[in-house]
Amino acid sequence: MKVRSKKNNDLRLLADELVETGLKKGADEIEVTIYDGRQFEVGVRLGQIETLVEADSKYCSIRVFKEKRKASFSTSDLSRPALYSLVEKAIKRAGLTQPDQLAGLPERPRYKVDELSLKLSDPALAELKPEQKINLALETEKIGLADRRITNSFGASFLTNELKTILVSSNGFNGEYGETDASLSLGLQAGQGDQLVEDYWFSSARHLKDLASPREVAKEAVSRTVRQLNSRKVKTQTVPVIFEPLMTSWLLAFLFQCVSGQAVYQKASFLADRLGDRVGDKALRVIDDGLLPGKLGSKPFDAEGVPAQTTPVIDSGSLRNFLCDTYAGRKLGLASTGNADENGIGPNNFYLQPGSVSPEQIISSTRKGLLLTRTIGHGLNPVTGDISRGAFGLWIEDGQIAFPVSGITVSGNLGEILNSIEMTGSDLNFYSQFSGPTIKVAEMTVAGL
Amino acid sequence: MSKQLVTDSVCQDPFQLSTSLLKKVLMTALSRGGDFADLFLEYRTSLSVLMEEDLIKETDETLTLGLGIRVIKGDRTGYAYSNDLSQEKLLEAARSAAAIALAGRVHPPDFQFRSLRIKNQAGRVKKLATASPLQGKLRLVKRAYQSALNFDPAVKKVQVAYGESTQQVWILNSEGLSVKDCRPMIRLTVHSLAEKRGHWESGYYGGGGRVGLEFFKSSLTPEAIAEESAREACLLLEAVDPPAGQWPVILSSGHSGVLVHEAVGHLLEADFIRKKTSIFCDRLGQKVASGQITIYDDPTIPGFRGSYNIDDEGTLPEKTLLVEAGILKEFLQDKLSARLMGQKANGHGRREDFTNWPLPRMSNTYIAPGAYPAEEIVQSVKKGFYVSHLSGGQVEDSGQFTFSVTLGFLVENGRLTRPVKQATLIGTNLDILQKVEMVGSDLDFGLQTATCGKEGQSVPVNDGCPTMKVAGLIIGGKS
Repeated sequence: MKVRSKKNNDLRLLADELVETGLKKGADEIEVTIYDGRQFEVGVRLGQIETLVEADSKYCSIRVFKEKRKASFSTSDLSRPALYSLVEKAIKRAGLTQPDQLAGLPERPRYKVDELSLKLSDPALAELKPEQKINLALETEKIGLADRRITNSFGASFLTNELKTILVSSNGFNGEYGETDASLSLGLQAGQGDQLVEDYWFSSARHLKDLASPREVAKEAVSRTVRQLNSRKVKTQTVPVIFEPLMTSWLLAFLFQCVSGQAVYQKASFLADRLGDRVGDKALRVIDDGLLPGKLGSKPFDAEGVPAQTTPVIDSGSLRNFLCDTYAGRKLGLASTGNADENGIGPNNFYLQPGSVSPEQIISSTRKGLLLTRTIGHGLNPVTGDISRGAFGLWIEDGQIAFPVSGITVSGNLGEILNSIEMTGSDLNFYSQFSGPTIKVAEMTVAGL
Repeated sequence: MSKQLVTDSVCQDPFQLSTSLLKKVLMTALSRGGDFADLFLEYRTSLSVLMEEDLIKETDETLTLGLGIRVIKGDRTGYAYSNDLSQEKLLEAARSAAAIALAGRVHPPDFQFRSLRIKNQAGRVKKLATASPLQGKLRLVKRAYQSALNFDPAVKKVQVAYGESTQQVWILNSEGLSVKDCRPMIRLTVHSLAEKRGHWESGYYGGGGRVGLEFFKSSLTPEAIAEESAREACLLLEAVDPPAGQWPVILSSGHSGVLVHEAVGHLLEADFIRKKTSIFCDRLGQKVASGQITIYDDPTIPGFRGSYNIDDEGTLPEKTLLVEAGILKEFLQDKLSARLMGQKANGHGRREDFTNWPLPRMSNTYIAPGAYPAEEIVQSVKKGFYVSHLSGGQVEDSGQFTFSVTLGFLVENGRLTRPVKQATLIGTNLDILQKVEMVGSDLDFGLQTATCGKEGQSVPVNDGCPTMKVAGLIIGGKS
């Protein structure tokens, strides 16, 4: 442990040194981020270890500004000659781009979020032995394969990540935090010949104690796979569509794309001119929250050092905020919401506020409709809000699940969907950075025969 | 000529590692009883330029340096990687990867490296983009930007991205192979947004490949890319919603190549075959498609995005005949799957970078030309759907696939009529392959900008096909 903390101290000193070097070489502003990660991953299949990965890696990412012109670089070569030369080249490149009055680092933040209150790291993960990790994966697959309806396995995997992030800026900000995560997953196949079905299940968490057990993951993977057996096609029609939580998650990921400040100032979002407008039912509430203790999307500060916060995106059905980094905020005359990530603007914990009904109640309220369980393909257009995807699901008749359906597509429009969420379930789980409960949408087109 | 430039002026040895150290690393990797070990050294420099809102907003450079070590024991793979190439770190990574073999200490058999000399066929480069000054690239970007804006008053926002990279690899293995390659790539893409009466639509086009900047002079100008992108956005302003249901479908040449990639290519990747999850696993030598269908995967097409001189395991690539007149002939193999299946590796082991192990992958996949003129195919359809531009697709091992049509047309009485937006096509591969009724003579390839994802790894690919008619496909739509 002592050795690692010394190493991190070295990396902190390196970040300080690079900020100084950049300023000396002529940058007006410079921001240095260093990532120090450790990854472990085991994949097992049919009772045997198939893959085992173990690695340490470091990575440095830098932005420089000179006369309101920006350039950036990132490198996995952390030798000083490479870093110095990249800094010099970046400053030179900045000189060739065009000045942008809004470019630049944020103001030095006035406060810091306490890293410890966020519970981002689990020391128990670092102490888990490789054999224990391998056994978690083996056990999960074994339980899954014990079900006689399962005919093949895509394998189970267990992986852990430990990551340290160090950020130093010429605006006076410096900070670092450590985080961990682990995930356990299993993919299965059922059926024979031309009638194969597949699905998977997973659990992902920062703390070992929050991770689902092998039995829970395996049971869910089995039930999700076999429920698709003997599927039928349905005729093209317009029906209510119930989104399972994982499906609500992709819908939210698409919504995120449309409320990202970058898409908004580029006019690449159908919500671009709708700030303050009513966009959904008054019960609709969507939040981006970087401060939820122990959750996967939490962090004390974003990629620019801006403190994490809780941002209502849609509140009482009205569009309240776009999610911004410093630049998008300046473009839109808004403040940064602490959503800068390495590639632009990213989510913290972006979720839909749960309601009070159970998923079973939502199903039994539906005379005829589709319970959407899986989609494949692309087919999301943020400019229009249009959605069109290949779909799998369970057909509902008279409030009961009647039969599985496949070979269909669902299509609709996100703007219309937000306005027609009839029921919101209570089953919110923070499986990923995008999460939501079961929801029922009044109508979408299901295309089939 | 081009070969000289590539190998001499830019691609000097960036690794500074001796073969004796690398041999020691390989021996350490095998010290727990592994059957095979290989090293993948990578040095990649990339540059990207972004222009939007009339400004060159930023330029970004990425330097990737590292080593991946793989040890195979039976069908098990141990993998470790490091971005630190010091002797101590390399040996530590080798010991991590070695652990997969689970045995006690063994003395692996000795070997000597033989350098494999390869000829450059994949790159078609007069002058390496990485070696050219930035100013010229900025000019290309500005030209594209201006042409898209000038195309039509409806075009309101434009985004132009230029990207280039040069990847140098050195692959060594415990069979004694030592081979180096230098892989250039460029790409210019234009995204246009058009507006009419408050309604916005977007268009996309691009080009590039394993070529030099001269490509944008002779083969495809920035103006041509920009106009195609703007034209799509403007056409979509007039487009109607797709007709939902089952219709005869005509697939345009080139753009529709993603169909062969999704519906056939992925399920012929040998890992899915040996794990028996692919629907094609027991069908070698059987008829799986209409007799008009012949499919190749060819990593040797000069200048193409999916091409390479050696794959990421150091195997020389082959133009692989996958399906001949409807009969399934061969799978896409990497070394591991080939050995486990008792077949020959055919140069399709690819990986995203040094942090990943290789998987069987596609390169440039296409359907060979057939007998029908394209016009005759369109004229044969009374009422149907013509697929013009596609944005991507996805397939499952069961053969269920979808692909997303960004621009299509209604076909009425043998003619293309109204433009159609945002449709999804869905089907199962065996079904669609049987239902191909006409294959055109006009083979063309898709944009040289495509990337294929599998198990979290992205690799550059291309695909192609002639105009084709499929008897009936389900179209997802709202009307």
